Amino acid sequence: MPALELERIRRTYGGVVAVEDVSITVSRGEFLTLLGPSGSGKTTTLRLIGGFERPDAGAISINGERVDHLPPYARDTATIFQSGALFPHMTVAENVAYGLRMRGVAPAEMAARIKRALDIVRLTGFEDRYPAQLSGGQKQRVALARSLAVRPAILLFDEPLSALDLSLRLQLRGEIKRLHDELGFTAIYVTHDQGEAMAMSSRVAVMNKGKIAQIDTPTRLFHEPASEFVFTFIGESCCLPVKANGAKICDVAGTAIDLRLTRKLKAGDWRLYVRPSRLKIGKQAEKCDNRITAEIAFTEFLGDFWRHHLKAGALELFCDYTGPENFKPGQKAPVGWNNADMSVFQ
Amino acid sequence: MTAATLADDVYAAAARRARRTEKLMPFALMSPALVIAIVFFGIPTLLMLRMSFNEHVPQRLYVPGFTFSHYAQLLSEERFVTAIWTTVKLSLLASCATVLIGYGFAMLVWLKPARWRLAFIGLALTPLLISEISIIFGWWMFFPKNGLLSYALLSVGLISDKISLMYTEFAAFVGLVYITLPFCFFILLSIFDAIDKRLIEASGDLGARPFTTFYEILLPLTRTGILVAFAQSFIWAMGTYATPSALGPDTLWTIGYLIQEQMMGKSNWPLASAFSMILVVLVAVVILFVRSLNTERTRFHA
Repeated sequence: MPALELERIRRTYGGVVAVEDVSITVSRGEFLTLLGPSGSGKTTTLRLIGGFERPDAGAISINGERVDHLPPYARDTATIFQSGALFPHMTVAENVAYGLRMRGVAPAEMAARIKRALDIVRLTGFEDRYPAQLSGGQKQRVALARSLAVRPAILLFDEPLSALDLSLRLQLRGEIKRLHDELGFTAIYVTHDQGEAMAMSSRVAVMNKGKIAQIDTPTRLFHEPASEFVFTFIGESCCLPVKANGAKICDVAGTAIDLRLTRKLKAGDWRLYVRPSRLKIGKQAEKCDNRITAEIAFTEFLGDFWRHHLKAGALELFCDYTGPENFKPGQKAPVGWNNADMSVFQ
Repeated sequence: MTAATLADDVYAAAARRARRTEKLMPFALMSPALVIAIVFFGIPTLLMLRMSFNEHVPQRLYVPGFTFSHYAQLLSEERFVTAIWTTVKLSLLASCATVLIGYGFAMLVWLKPARWRLAFIGLALTPLLISEISIIFGWWMFFPKNGLLSYALLSVGLISDKISLMYTEFAAFVGLVYITLPFCFFILLSIFDAIDKRLIEASGDLGARPFTTFYEILLPLTRTGILVAFAQSFIWAMGTYATPSALGPDTLWTIGYLIQEQMMGKSNWPLASAFSMILVVLVAVVILFVRSLNTERTRFHA
């Protein structure tokens, strides 16, 4: 029996469709991420699962039971909010105890579960602090402990790390992953940060305009994107809009360009995509399947590599290059990539 | 004296100066407000206190002197004691009602989508734009036998005969609530606005029903606001003079009314001042009491 089942749910706000025809099945212990740009419907989907919104159509089941008519307090879910949403007038221990009190857990067991929950998030000794006395990262840990303590069927994460700074975000995302591996809870995680999605999830549902564009493992999403949207949304890519006319390749304005493609394109408008890390430049480009000569517009040094921004007529691309050659702005250089690294969409 | 001890002395003097500046700084920063408070509130109150001990001779406003007789008179004569009690009772009732209504209204505005907000706030502001006298005239058209209220109740069939609520304690009570409500509403709204609405969702999410959420989350978080709003309403209700005397029965003697009577009618300034001092003390007692109800925990709300 799946832990969570969404069947063709739909939610509109006064004529604006927020979520449309979304169906997801999540098995027990799975870590599913809803990933998408803002306004893609990921948060609405999460709020529908938590019961903060009601679907206009469709069914939501938790552990096989229909819940879409139930208010949040009657659903076996627990949400970790972006703001943490800790009760400011309660201590850390009282915050964690809140859900247990509402569920009528006996005092002795309650004390044990609070202790265990704070232990899990490594906040033992913080019991008597108030939320105002905690740092941002500590607050999110308390929020996590508060949700874990009630042992819900599903944990819902609503962009819990997006308000934190980068190093803390990386650290906490590692901890959430570790806790998931240790405790095996079922989690739905909403984020717009693909790094988070890729690092933590067993599966990722990429959402766009209220619909699910693709739902798959992180590796398959990256290597076998189902659509142009998924390809461009996951990872960085250069886009080359071209017009194919027999063997001749032109830019969108119709000017012929010196792009040698080994792959034959049917006549029409195409968009070719290459990841900047797979783009070769200089000597390394010579053995590639596809080649173009480009001028270096400007160069950014990003630590591990140089990012060369290139121009070839109306086409713009960028290439991550680790060396050994030294390219200067204004210099012309051959740029190339292999067919395996190129995605084409019409 | 060696160079080293000289340097030590200079250093010690500088440190002393710094400590002195640090001590004086809060007062320096407060001084504009402090000056206004002292000049416009402190000094008049002290002058009034002095006046309340002066002698009163018929046909004269006052004669300089020192006597407790006015206070003794106020606390022994039944007419005055009743007035004090009536005023406190009416003010307490009106403040309780004001806080209840204001709380509900503020919570509604806070919970409703932002697009309703301006309309609600405008609605709450309107009573403040009308003078107390105009509002009293409004009530005079509302409460009497041929007034709006009577007709409204009659036409919906709640009463069978026209009634007049004019010149009743109820009318005075309603009038007071109306005067104090806007202030109460804005205090409570500002308190509600400081609360993260996600807390309500978090509470529900953890298994609390709506009433439990109200009792466990909203009520403790708005506690300070309730106390402040109550104190504010009480001060207004105690001091408002025109509304209760214009809407209440002739027998409704409030402190405000009697001060006016002593001051203007009987030209007994010392007695009026003594009565005013009693009003000040009563308000101060209530404010101190309300402040003592505020717990240590509310410190962490911000």
